[in-house]
Amino acid sequence: MTEKDARTTVDLTRDLTRRRFLQGSALAGFSAFLAACSTNGGSAAPTAAGSAVANIPTPPPASATPQASPTPVPSPTGPLHWAQWPAYIDLTGKAGDEGVYAPGSSPTLEAFKAKYKLDVDYQEKIEANEDFYATIQPQLQGGLPTGWDLITVTDWLAAKIISKGWAEKIDQGNVPNCVANLRDALKNQVWDPGQDYHYPWQSGMAGIGYNKTTLAKNGKGEPKSLADLWALPADKMTFLTEKRDSFGLGLLKLGKTADPTLTTDADLQAVHDDIKPLVDKGLRFAGNEYLQDFASKKVWAAMAWSGDLASSGSADDVWVAPAEGSLVFTDNMIIPKGAANKYTAELMMNFVYDPKIAGNIANYVYYVSPVKGAEDVLKELNKDAPLDQALLDLLFPPADVIAKQHNFQFLSDELEAKMNELYADLAGV
Amino acid sequence: MTAPAVAVSEPRHWRRRLSQAAPYILLAPGILWLVYFFVWPAVQMFLMSISSGTLDSGFRVTGSTTAYADALGKFQVQFGNSLLYGGTATILDFLIGFPVAYTVAFRGGRYKNLLLFLVIAPFFTSFLIRTISWKILLGDEGPLFGFLKNDLHILSTDFTVVGTPVSVIAGLTYNFLPFMILPLYVALEKIDPRLVEAANDLYAGRWEAFRRVTLPLAMPGVFAGSLLTFIPALGDYINAELLGSPKTRMIGNVIQARFLQQNDYPLAAALSFLLMAAILVAVIFYARALGTERLTG
Repeated sequence: MTEKDARTTVDLTRDLTRRRFLQGSALAGFSAFLAACSTNGGSAAPTAAGSAVANIPTPPPASATPQASPTPVPSPTGPLHWAQWPAYIDLTGKAGDEGVYAPGSSPTLEAFKAKYKLDVDYQEKIEANEDFYATIQPQLQGGLPTGWDLITVTDWLAAKIISKGWAEKIDQGNVPNCVANLRDALKNQVWDPGQDYHYPWQSGMAGIGYNKTTLAKNGKGEPKSLADLWALPADKMTFLTEKRDSFGLGLLKLGKTADPTLTTDADLQAVHDDIKPLVDKGLRFAGNEYLQDFASKKVWAAMAWSGDLASSGSADDVWVAPAEGSLVFTDNMIIPKGAANKYTAELMMNFVYDPKIAGNIANYVYYVSPVKGAEDVLKELNKDAPLDQALLDLLFPPADVIAKQHNFQFLSDELEAKMNELYADLAGV
Repeated sequence: MTAPAVAVSEPRHWRRRLSQAAPYILLAPGILWLVYFFVWPAVQMFLMSISSGTLDSGFRVTGSTTAYADALGKFQVQFGNSLLYGGTATILDFLIGFPVAYTVAFRGGRYKNLLLFLVIAPFFTSFLIRTISWKILLGDEGPLFGFLKNDLHILSTDFTVVGTPVSVIAGLTYNFLPFMILPLYVALEKIDPRLVEAANDLYAGRWEAFRRVTLPLAMPGVFAGSLLTFIPALGDYINAELLGSPKTRMIGNVIQARFLQQNDYPLAAALSFLLMAAILVAVIFYARALGTERLTG
């Protein structure tokens, strides 16, 4: 990428620059949240995220819209169009085994449909934040509806969409469950402190996934660290198209900290130079489609998101937090501007914040639920056959894992531009 | 005296005008179509390619040639891959497609329609699904290589095809095969078999008759088929995306990524324009080489 391209990227997010300011609470909140999840795993350790300067966009200034004014109760309309990541809700039967949604396969969605007597057009359309953003950005920019009523996007993109004023304001009166049950640690995000525009869907970690049988068959040991991962045959691996994750883990592999406020262009360049030889030997980049590669045994190991392999992979697929550390993220529900069924989207948010429903979802997706009480429901669901420790570690990360978690979400414009440029070179585009 | 003459000549005049305009009126839908869906977007694309700015602030035509310099300077590998993979796939399609089309045209008999249907049948499935299926078919532990590796032990366990140029070319070859077979079939089907018989009567052997009668008469089909295969294959990005790796990216991947991921419209537009120009030049040379004016009359 040339200087000009880099400039483009910088300009793209220039709105965010103006609003950049000192903050630390969001990062600290993150760690605290994950610590809170590990109540059964021992005491929470301090995390790497301290006070820091980061590029965190803020919501648009309060508009003329009055705050949660008492509106007449609208009637739900449908179908609700929901864009979601693959295998990110409870699925049963064949869909559950394959980790691919098919209409009728999700008890949560079926219960919602029955309760409100309307249809849900649930589509697993998101494999990478940027690719999905490219499909809705032109409409949002032009003030047109995106066709979606609810989208699930990761922190940095959620913050970007909200800061541009492209999210519908949530009527808190319609989401009492969310107000009551959102875990405290996830509240007060700088980019949307009052939950006016978002509620978290699930949180998770980026780390190492591998298939132990394939590795054993080929005489390779199981990677426990990122250095181990780098040493495996490159053409049997995928890294993530989600650049923040690939570069973040790359930083940790080099023994550098993955912290948007400390990382420099030179650090990112070092990561690029470290990954480039792997690309020359056949490394590929993948979004959620690494699940298919795992299924076809095309990849032996990959940078992967916690929960994915446990919920959708085979019994031999394992996810581990690398010895060097892992990255944390939260995916958030947002109602894009111009959504045709805003009220229904709010009903859905409210619905999935019922601890019973949230427990059911967590019991399938194995990500960290943002809903208070989901944990108890989950344990109750599995009381006859308790989940094994590896799974519990994904849902309630142990203290030593939490201690080495990093948040590499909110990059400065300059850093993001540099990362985009380096990634384009790695990805061959 | 003159009044009646005028009355008679007016409609005649009008009718002559109409008959003169008729070809243009009949062509109008096609011309409008081309103007609206080809000329206008092409002009827009060209203007975008000489613009600068960002998506947020808007792009303005500044006459900047940076995009072209970047496009030519930084993506030779991807342009090269496109030519190599697209060209190889076209040649393979010809080698596979010609015998198929020949057999259907000359030996198909009453099964001609059925055979043609079989050629097209797989293509009722979505392009994307077919390509993803290749990923499974060519997978390391897929039905073919899994068997060769685990049961026959012919291949070493780290043998791999997906992610290499071989799988990209295989995908392109497969996906564009009907575009080669159908024009070839049409050309071959029109050949009067008596011409071949005549050649045989004149002491031409089978090969000689094929070389001097069948093949020349099939040239319009070869020309059409190879263009219909080569042009879309050159700009394709799905195969390289799904079956390739970062090292096997084609120019289509770059255009896609620059348009949709990096939002660098001027560069993407410049690349598209260069691709169009390259195709145009290639087609002109190809047409000259094959002497298509003579062939298509």
